[in-house]
Parts: sequence; structure tokens; C-alpha cells
Amino acid sequence: MAIIRSCLNQIPRIVSLFIAICIASAIANPGKGSAEEKLTIYVVNYPLKYFAERIAGEHATVVFSAPADVDPAYWMPDAKTISDYQRADLILLNGANYAKWVNKVSLPRFRMVNTSEAFKDRYIEAAEILTHSHGAQGKHAHEALAFTTWIDFSLAAEQAKAIAKALNRKKPSLEDIFQRNYQELEKDLLKLDRDMRALVSKDPSKPFVVSHPVYDYLARGYGLKIKSVHWEPDEVVDDRQLMELQNILKDDPAKWMIWEGEPIKESVEKLKAIGMQSVVFDPCGNTPDQGNFISMMQQNVENLKAAFH
Amino acid sequence: MIDSLYIAWKYISYNKIKTATLVACITLISFLPLSLQLLLVESERQLMSRAVSTPLVVGAKGSSLDLVMNTLYFDDEVPELITVDASNRVMETDLALPIPIYARFQARGNPIVGTTLDYFDFRGLKIAQGRQLAVLGDCVLGAKVAETLGLKPGDSLVSSPETLFDLAGVYPLKMKVVGVLEKSHTSDDLAVFVDLKTAWVIQGLGHGHEDVTKLRDPTLVLKRTEKNVAATAKLYHHTEITEENIDSFHFHGDLAQYPITAVIALPSDEKSGTILRGRYLSREETQQIVRPQDVIDGLLQNIFRIKNVLDAVISVVALATILAVLLVFALSLRLRQREIQTIFKLGCRRATIARLLTAEIFIIVIMSAVFCGAMIFLINQFSNDLVRMLFIR
Repeated sequence: MAIIRSCLNQIPRIVSLFIAICIASAIANPGKGSAEEKLTIYVVNYPLKYFAERIAGEHATVVFSAPADVDPAYWMPDAKTISDYQRADLILLNGANYAKWVNKVSLPRFRMVNTSEAFKDRYIEAAEILTHSHGAQGKHAHEALAFTTWIDFSLAAEQAKAIAKALNRKKPSLEDIFQRNYQELEKDLLKLDRDMRALVSKDPSKPFVVSHPVYDYLARGYGLKIKSVHWEPDEVVDDRQLMELQNILKDDPAKWMIWEGEPIKESVEKLKAIGMQSVVFDPCGNTPDQGNFISMMQQNVENLKAAFH
Repeated sequence: MIDSLYIAWKYISYNKIKTATLVACITLISFLPLSLQLLLVESERQLMSRAVSTPLVVGAKGSSLDLVMNTLYFDDEVPELITVDASNRVMETDLALPIPIYARFQARGNPIVGTTLDYFDFRGLKIAQGRQLAVLGDCVLGAKVAETLGLKPGDSLVSSPETLFDLAGVYPLKMKVVGVLEKSHTSDDLAVFVDLKTAWVIQGLGHGHEDVTKLRDPTLVLKRTEKNVAATAKLYHHTEITEENIDSFHFHGDLAQYPITAVIALPSDEKSGTILRGRYLSREETQQIVRPQDVIDGLLQNIFRIKNVLDAVISVVALATILAVLLVFALSLRLRQREIQTIFKLGCRRATIARLLTAEIFIIVIMSAVFCGAMIFLINQFSNDLVRMLFIR
């Protein structure tokens, strides 16, 4: 009887010890629960990666799998990467037929978010389309839509909003955090938007030639007058290309060529010889070597200032 | 009693043909209604379980039975087509999640089901061998299809043309088998699953060919202008999607206008489902939304009405058979009159003779029961497949 009584006396101590151990272990691993619930987000280009990271913060791991040296719009992932995309909690798409591979693979639709869905009625049809016909289907064309939507910063803000909405749906408990982060990002994007507008308003009629047909949204968004050629910044401009440019200049006497990357010196010199200056506006579809989306775009706006000086 | 059974058994084994006929009659007459009942219960279970687990189906207005049977059991009867817009419409309501289904084509007698990866999650289908669908041209086989056709990951399967007489039609697509599903004991075991886009390639809406703007062979170009290149019918279309040619595959126009047969709508709750159903009530509406459970319920009521008729027929036949069996016994007694007299003269009481005859009947009934039980056991073992073979597909 004495033994039983002594055991019963020990019960409150044992319970207290157990509670103390539980509290201590909870204090020792404060972030364990939230870390386990981290969302995995896969994206199709760098701007979406940046937006998702800014909005989700530490609550998501954002993965952009395209290698640094390829254009994500034309990249094709391997089977292993596709399988990674299939397992993601969210797959952020740019829309406007960006990332052609999306139409050639199987992805879970419930987890896919077209970030430009809200402005799909404002997609721009690419200016130069060569149609073709075969069989009974009549004429049809490839590459019908321009897809570099995010360089119109007001549209970029709408894409960010779509990401915030998707994140809210996935994790309603974190809505306040996502909303706050989104508002900060929106502020940055709209500042870029205002800067661009202010810059172009100095001389809205100034014509430009762009080295690649990827500036349609920039041109429409800010009223830039552009004509497009199809040149690569890392290739020397040849005589045929110069002749093509001269033909354009007859109708639109532009003094500035906008490049998507730093052009090689020979090309710059050849352009200078015909009275044209070069300026870089990097659309930043892939991860930049340094800086981030906002700093790269600020740099782009800064670069353009030379043309409007 | 043992003696009576022994003598009865000796008599039965001597009159083999008579005994076999009697056993067959009693076995069949008890087996028929029991097996029918078993198969009907199993078909009801199968039909209802799939119908109950599929909340809502959206399709073109018309036969709701065709729509449900095609969407749930991949029946050959293809309902009128709708477009992907119908799926987007469900998505935009924020009331339900849509799973588009395009069950129109076949491969070696098995339905090809074009859908999205969400279908596999929804039905809880797991990959037993290989991997999940990844790129255009991949297909995943139901367990039964893989077993019947002897296919495994790495093999290929060619889609069947819709009609043999469509000589100018679309070439069949050679699909790559990338996975086999675990057995689910549902219609999914009998289907070939592809991505929706692969189904459109089978239809010819998506295709891969040489870049027509770079054609060198003049016989391939019908007309070339500044804005358009018209290719001749000689232009080769790829009939298999490989790593080398996948880049040349493309779709024309707005994918939202591409065809599907139905949309499975998964409402977030009962209320959302009801609101969604309300959106399809307008008179001008070209689409219908149905609860598969209601449609299958209606179908089962018809089946059970037919079953009642069958039961009546079987009852009449059973009565006739029982009368025939009684007649056989009565005639047999008359034929055995001399034999019975001999037994009586040997000193047996009338009660012993009655016991002998009862033992004979008892043995025949027991033999029939054993045969009937064995057949019912077999039917029960294969009822799942039998039902799908006889009633569902």
C-alpha cells in the first residue's frame, strides 16, 4: 500500500515534467511547423520568380529551372524537370503563349496560374506573321502573340496581383503577409511605370529601332514609336542587315537602337557610322547576372534617359 | 438413415442420365435468378459508386445518359462536343474545379481518354509501372488494357482511325506507352489515358511538319506569297512525336475553342454545386449540367423494372420445371412399381420405402445445390469483370 501511495504522490511531478519537456521542445524548434508547410512554386521566367519571391517571402521556395544561357520562351525542359513541375504546389505561367513548352507537356491544371489572364483581351498580336496553309484547315499562323508582357510595368503589377491572389488561395492563413508584400512590390512596379511615362512624355514622337521584336508591350504601354529588326547583340551586324535598317530609317528616321543585351563593339561602331546610337533595355526574361528585376528595370529606364536627353 | 442414403446413392449412380437431367434442371432453375441478382447488385454497386464519386458533369444539351456513360464509363456513344471554354467557364465561377474529358477516339478497341493530370488525383489513380504523362504523345494504360494488349512502358500504341473509309483523314498517331496504372476495378482499367493536347493531335488539330517557310522541294509548295505559304498535300505530317520533332508540333488558333466531350465539375461544397447547377438553367443555354447519381439512378430503375419482368419469366419457367421434376419422380415411381413391390415383399415397411425415395430426392437436391453454389461462387469471383463486360462496356 505504501508503494502505491508513493507512486500516486509522484503523478503531479511526472505530469509537470512532461509539460515542461513539451514546452522546451516547442521553444527549441520554433519554425519547424511553418518550414514544413512551405509552398513549392515553379515558374516559367525570371520576372515571375522575382514577383513570387517578393510576395511569398520565406513561405515559399520558388524554382525557375531554365538554364541561364537560354531564352525561357523557347526552352524545352527534360522529363525530370517536367516531373518536378508536375509536383509543384503552384505553377506560374506568363500567358500570351510564352514558354511554348507548356503546350507540349502535361501539367496539373488546378495548380497552374496564368498570371496575365486578367488582361488577355489586351494581348498584342505580333506585327509580322507569316501564315501558311496545308490540308483542309486553311491559312494559319504561328507565333501570333507578343509575350514580353512584364515590360509594361502596369501589366507587370497585374501579374503580381494574380500571383498574390493565387498564394492567398493556397494559404489563406498568410493572406495578410502576402497582401503586404504584394503592395510593396506594386509600389516599386508603379514607380517604374511612372518613371517610364515621365521619360517618354519628354518627346513622345521620338522614333526608335529595336533589335528584337520583344518590345511591343513597352511601346504600347508608354507610347514609344518603334520599328523592329531581328538582330542578335552578340553577332556583328552584316551589310544585308544594315541595308534592311536603312530601308526602315527612310520612313522612320530613328537615331537610337534599343538592344536587349550589351551589343558587341563592331555593331555599335557600324551603327554610329550611320548616325545611330545604341542603348540597352534588357527585358530580363532570364535571371540577370547581377541585381534583380527592379534594379535591372531601373537601369533600363536610366539607360533610356540618354535617348531622351 | 445411412443405409437408406447408401441404397439411394446406388440407385442414383445406376440411373446416371436420369439423375444428371434432374440435377441440371434444378441447378439451372436456382442458378439463373441467383446469378442475375448477383450481377445486378454488382452492376448497381459499380455504376453507383462511380456516379456518386463524380459530383457534376457538364456537357452539350442532349441525352444526359449518353453524356454520363461516356464521361464515367468511356462508352462508345460520343455525346455532342463542347469546347474547352466550357471548362474555363466552370473555373471562372470559382464555385468548382473543372476536369475536361475528351473520350472520343480508340486504340485497338480501347477508349482513348484525353484529360488533364488532375483526373488521376481526382480518381486516386496511381502509377504501377513507368511514369506519369509528361510530354505530347505519351500515354498511360489502364491495368486491364496493359494486360490484354501485353504492353508495358517503352512500348508503343497506335490510335485507330475513326472510320476506315476516311482515306484522306488524319493519320493514326503512334503513342508512347510511358506508364501503367494500378488496377482500380473501374472503367479506368479499360482506358488509354493521354493528355488533352495529345487527343487533339490524334484528331489532327495539332500537328507537326517541316517548317513550310523553309521548304526547298518545289513540289511541296502550292503557292508562296509575301504573307502566306500554301503547302501541297504531299507535305509530310509526323505520325509519331519524338524528342527530335516535338518542336515542330503546334496548335492553330485559340485552344479555348478546341473540342472536348464533357467537363467533370468538382464543387467546393454542396452550396457551390447547387449555385453552379442554377447557372445552367436558362432556356437559351446550350450546355447541361447533370448529377451522374441522378442519371444512373434513373438507369437503374429501368434495369430493375426489366429485372422484375425477368423475375416473372423465371418464376413461370421455375414452376414448369418443378412440375416437370415432380412428373419425372411420379413416372419414375410408376416405372419402379415392381421394384417397390419386391422391396415390400422382402419385408420392408412402407415408411422405409418412403425414406429410400426421400433420400434419393435429398441427394439430387444436395448435388444441385453444390453445383449451383460452385457456379455462383465463380460468378461472384468474376462479377466485377463480368458486369463491365456485359452491362457497362
